[in-house]
Amino acid sequence: MKTSVKKLVTAVSASVALMGAGHAAAEIKIGIAGPVTGPVAQYGDMQFSGARMAIERINADGGVNGEMLEAVEVDDVCDPKQAVTVANRLVNDGVRFVVGHLCSSSTQPASDIYEDEGILMVTPASTSPDITERGYELVFRTIGLDSMQGPVAGNHISSLNPERVAIVHDKQQYGEGIATAVRDTLKDAGVEVALFEGITAGDKDFSSLVTKLKQADVDYVYYGGYHPELGLILRQARQADLDAIFMGPEGVGNKDINTIAGDAAEGLLVTLPPAFDEKAENQDLVKAFQDKGEDPSGPFVLTSYTAVQLIAEGIEQAGSTEPFDVAAALRSASFNTPIGTVEYDEKGDMKSFEFVVYEWHSDGSKTPVN
Amino acid sequence: MQDLLYFFQQLINGLTIGSTYALIAIGYTMVYGIIGMINFAHGEIYMIGAYTALIAITGLAALGIAWLPVILIVALVCAMIVSSSMGWAVERVAYRPVRGRHRLIPLISAIGMSIFLQNYVHLAQGSRNIGFPALIEGGFRFGSADSFQTSISYMQITIFITTLVCMTLLSLFISRSRIGRACRAVSQDLGMANLLGIDTNRIISATFIIGAALAAVAGLFLGMYYGSIDPLFGFIAGLKAFTAAVLGGIGSIPGAMLGGLILGVAESMTSGYLSGEYKDVVSFGLLILILLFKPTGLLGKPEVEKI
Repeated sequence: MKTSVKKLVTAVSASVALMGAGHAAAEIKIGIAGPVTGPVAQYGDMQFSGARMAIERINADGGVNGEMLEAVEVDDVCDPKQAVTVANRLVNDGVRFVVGHLCSSSTQPASDIYEDEGILMVTPASTSPDITERGYELVFRTIGLDSMQGPVAGNHISSLNPERVAIVHDKQQYGEGIATAVRDTLKDAGVEVALFEGITAGDKDFSSLVTKLKQADVDYVYYGGYHPELGLILRQARQADLDAIFMGPEGVGNKDINTIAGDAAEGLLVTLPPAFDEKAENQDLVKAFQDKGEDPSGPFVLTSYTAVQLIAEGIEQAGSTEPFDVAAALRSASFNTPIGTVEYDEKGDMKSFEFVVYEWHSDGSKTPVN
Repeated sequence: MQDLLYFFQQLINGLTIGSTYALIAIGYTMVYGIIGMINFAHGEIYMIGAYTALIAITGLAALGIAWLPVILIVALVCAMIVSSSMGWAVERVAYRPVRGRHRLIPLISAIGMSIFLQNYVHLAQGSRNIGFPALIEGGFRFGSADSFQTSISYMQITIFITTLVCMTLLSLFISRSRIGRACRAVSQDLGMANLLGIDTNRIISATFIIGAALAAVAGLFLGMYYGSIDPLFGFIAGLKAFTAAVLGGIGSIPGAMLGGLILGVAESMTSGYLSGEYKDVVSFGLLILILLFKPTGLLGKPEVEKI
C-alpha cells in the first residue's frame, strides 16, 4: 500500500513537472492589464482589442522564435488598489511581459511591482511623466507624455487669442498633471488663467462650477481628466448658457462623451494621437480589425497593438525571454510599428510622439483643426 | 448687483441638489427611526430607480410616445414600483433574518447588500455612464443679457416642487394615517407595539417601501437633471444623503429635509466662493462640528433609552 502511494505521488509529480516543462517551452505569457469594468472601461476595450489582435497575428505568423504568445487578461478597474492586486496576480502566474496599465494612477503603483519582480511593462496609454521619471529599467510606453500633450493644447489655446482661460481638472494624476502642463504653457505665452480648480471624479453635479465659470466670463475652458465628468460639465454648461469653448486631452476623446453630453459635445477640442488607422500602411491591419467587427480608431487600439509587437520583436532581437535582455534590445534598436518608427530613450519614453488637435462633433466624429 | 445674482445662482444650485439629498435621506432616517439600523443599500435602491426610469423612458420612446406628462408619469410609476419591491425584498432577505441581533450584524448585511446590488447593475447594465435624456428644458433668466445672468431651469423648479410635495405628503401620511400612526408607535417601542397588536413586520416593510419609492423619485429627477447615470452613483449620493440625515437629526423627517438643504447649499457655496476642491471638506467638517456640539443632529430628539 505504502509503495503504491509513493509510486502514485512520484508519477503524478513527474507528470506535473513534464507538463510544466512542455508548457513553458511553447508559450510566452503576455499579461494585459487594464479596466474591463468601471467608469473608463471603454478605453480598456480599446487596449484589449488591440493587444489581442497583435497576439493573434503574431501567433498566426508562427509566434516569436517558435514560441506562441498567450494572453493573460486582468481587470484593474483603473483603481490603484486593484492595480496592485492584479499586478501581484500576474507575478504569481509567471507572466514576464505586461501590456498595461491604462490609467496613470494604476500604472504607477503596478510598475513598482513589475520592476521589483523583473517584469517588463509597456503601457499603451499612461501619459504621466512620473512613470518613467524613476529610473526604472523595465518600464516602457507606446504613447506620448502629458508634458508633450499639455504644450500642444496650451499653444493651441493661446494661438486662438483668448481673453481669459479657466483650467479644471479631476485631481487625479493624469488630469491634474496635464492641466498643470497646460497652465504653465499658457502662462509662458502670457495668457491669463482666470481659474485653476479641481473637481471630484465621480461627481454628478457641476452646477456650482459652471456658475463660477460663467461669473469669471472665460472664453476657453481646459479640462484635464476623463469624459464622464467633462460630458456632464458640457451638458450642464449648455443648460446654463455658458458659451465658452472647451478643450480636453485624449482621455475625453471617445464616443461615450456624446451619449452623455449630446449636442453639447459639438465643437469640443481634443488633443489626440494622430489617427494611426488612417495611415496608408496600416490599412491591412485596419481591415483585420473590421473583419472581427472591432473599431481600430480608438486612441489606444494601435498603441496596444504596438506594445505587443514591440515585446515580440524585442524578444526576437534579444534571442531570449529574459526581460532585462529584451529591455536592452528595445533601447538599442528602432522599430517599425503601426504607430510609426519607435525609438526609446534611456527612460523608456519614445523619442518622438506627436499629438494633434481635433474638433469633436455631436455625432461622435472628429475633424483635425488647422 | 452682479454679486447678488451670483449668490442667488449658487443658492439655487445648492437648494436643488439639497432637495434631492433630502429625498434620499428620508429612506435612511425612516428606517433608522423605526428599527435603529442604517440601511446602506439605500443609495443602490436610488440608483436602481434611476435605471428603471431610464429603461421606461427608452421603452416609451421606442413605442413612439412623446407626450411629456405620460413619459414622466409612466417612468415615475415604473421606477417607484421596481425600487419599492427592491426595498421590500432587501429587507426580507438581508435584514429581517438578522433583526434584533447585535447592531453590527445588520450593518454588515446592509453593506453586503449594497455591494451586491452595485455589482448586479454593473453586470446587467454595463459599467459605462449612460446618458439620460433631459426631458424638461429651458428656464427663467434674471439680469441683463450682457453680464451675469441668474438662471433657474424648469428642471430645478420641478425638482424643488416635487421634493416639497413629497415631503408634505409624507408628513401628512405619518401624522394622519393609520399606518403612519403605527409607524410612530413602532418607532417608540417596537416590542410594545407588537404586544398591542400592531403587525410590526408589516410596518417595517412599509417603511422600506416608502423610503425606496421616494428614492426612486429622486433617481428619476436627478438622472434628468445631471444627464448621466452609472452603477456607482448611488453609493456617492447615498453617502451624502446619509450625512444629510445625520446632520438634520437621524430619525427625524423634517430633520432630513433641513439637513439635505443645508448640505446642498454648503456644498454649492463652497465651490462657488472657495474652490470645488474644498466642497467635501466643508460639508463633512460641518457634520463633525454638529455632531460635536449637538450629537443628535439639528432636529433630532435626545435618545429616550432605547434598547
